[in-house]
Amino acid sequence: MSEEKNELLAEISEVLETVVNRRVELRTDMNIVNDLGLDSIAVMNFCMALEDKFDISIPLHDMASVVTVDDLAKTIQALRSNA
Amino acid sequence: MSIFGKFAALSARYDRLKQSGADPFSVKFDDILSSVEGVVRGKKTLLFGTNNYLGLTFDEVAMEMSADAIRHHGTGTTGSRIANGSYKVHAELERELADFYRRKHCMVFSTGYQANLGMISTLVGKDDHLFLDADSHASIYDGSRLGHAPVVRFRHNNPDDLAKRLRRLADQPGDKLIVVEGIYSMLGDTAPLKEFVDVKREYGAYLMVDEAHSMGVLGRDGRGLAEREGVEDDVDFVVGTFSKSLASVGGFCVSSLEGFEILRLASRPYMFTASLPPSIMSSTISALKTLRREPERRTKLTANSRRFYNGLRGAGFNVGPECTPIVAVIIDNPDIAVAFWKRLLEEGMYLNLALPPATPNASAFLRSSVSAAHSDEHIDFAIALMTRIGREFGLLPNETNVCPFPVSAERLGATAATARALPTAVGAGAGMA
Repeated sequence: MSEEKNELLAEISEVLETVVNRRVELRTDMNIVNDLGLDSIAVMNFCMALEDKFDISIPLHDMASVVTVDDLAKTIQALRSNA
Repeated sequence: MSIFGKFAALSARYDRLKQSGADPFSVKFDDILSSVEGVVRGKKTLLFGTNNYLGLTFDEVAMEMSADAIRHHGTGTTGSRIANGSYKVHAELERELADFYRRKHCMVFSTGYQANLGMISTLVGKDDHLFLDADSHASIYDGSRLGHAPVVRFRHNNPDDLAKRLRRLADQPGDKLIVVEGIYSMLGDTAPLKEFVDVKREYGAYLMVDEAHSMGVLGRDGRGLAEREGVEDDVDFVVGTFSKSLASVGGFCVSSLEGFEILRLASRPYMFTASLPPSIMSSTISALKTLRREPERRTKLTANSRRFYNGLRGAGFNVGPECTPIVAVIIDNPDIAVAFWKRLLEEGMYLNLALPPATPNASAFLRSSVSAAHSDEHIDFAIALMTRIGREFGLLPNETNVCPFPVSAERLGATAATARALPTAVGAGAGMA
């Protein structure tokens, strides 16, 4: 995995920890809802925190198509490059 | 696995709740005696969870008008307005509401939920953007899901946070619609509407205010938060409901924007559902006239709210950040809240129980709504009862002058600004009001 991607994952982990208030070990193949135990409200709050971390806009329907951590990383990368 | 297997976790939670001997989701009233009294398990029970703000459900004139409408126009319209046509009373109700709000246009919906569904899903399309307060009511979230506009959430009651999110999309084409509520249904806090209006103007967005809980409650003439804050000209759309201050069922949207009427042929939750029966519309018109003619009801409601809010706060309860007719007691431990709620019902007081995940920060709310029809004795009974049970459960000290939860409005407001969203579609209070 590229260094850039590792850095992005670390940043995502950091944001997630502020939302769930616990330590999280992220892997790219993790399922955000099932493996991380986020309910629908937590996912929306996670989304809002990611928007602020990366200064991007992630409309909720974009988040709906995100299943794994890898999907999320790709979505963020795409939104950042468009910004 | 059955088709209901996906609800296993929800079922398990509900079973646990029922095993505790309390089932706040299926309370059965043997009878309803007045706007503020009912009978539960044979016991006369004081109602503090009805949203019946002006106490008009048993208004003599409204009941007579309703009965008369049935006798003259039948029990139902048996279809939608685009298919079955409109009755005179549809137009009359829309005219009365437009006149009350001093707006050019009004559309009436079959429920308040559908008013939000119908307006939000239709006003913005796939090339627009929709901005929702994180603590929005379920009907607002559901409207956003029915429509095609990208949805951006901002932190509850936080105009700066909204501005930041609008700025990120400032270069995007399309219209932008901001939706906030006059009074939020769980904690009873109001939106900082003047500040939201500043943001709306800066970014050229449209603003919709859901005055469901503030109609008949706030403002000199009862038009809600926008009237109280003096910003009605900057509110493009007001949505509201008939099922609270107006004591029936149904919803509406008013606006003065040119072109509004085309929504009657575009808003699916308006077009493809049966319209309100004449009896409902007749009592609603009567209630609206009473709302306008008898401002003393609002005065009494405000006084009642203050008496109840200050009474509970003075007893040491952790209450919501603002005094409105929605008075929420916040209890950290949901199990205690369930037991507390059950005891209240056994002792003759009914209110709403809101449980996580429908509440912020994993706490539970004992959520009351005060009515103009409550007497001082009703309110004092409720304060005394809640205080006694609060002490039994160790939530309050025996000395009433010691507050175990010293929460200032500022601190609570700050918590709310960073709190998790209130009801979307799951859990206790979701869609309750």
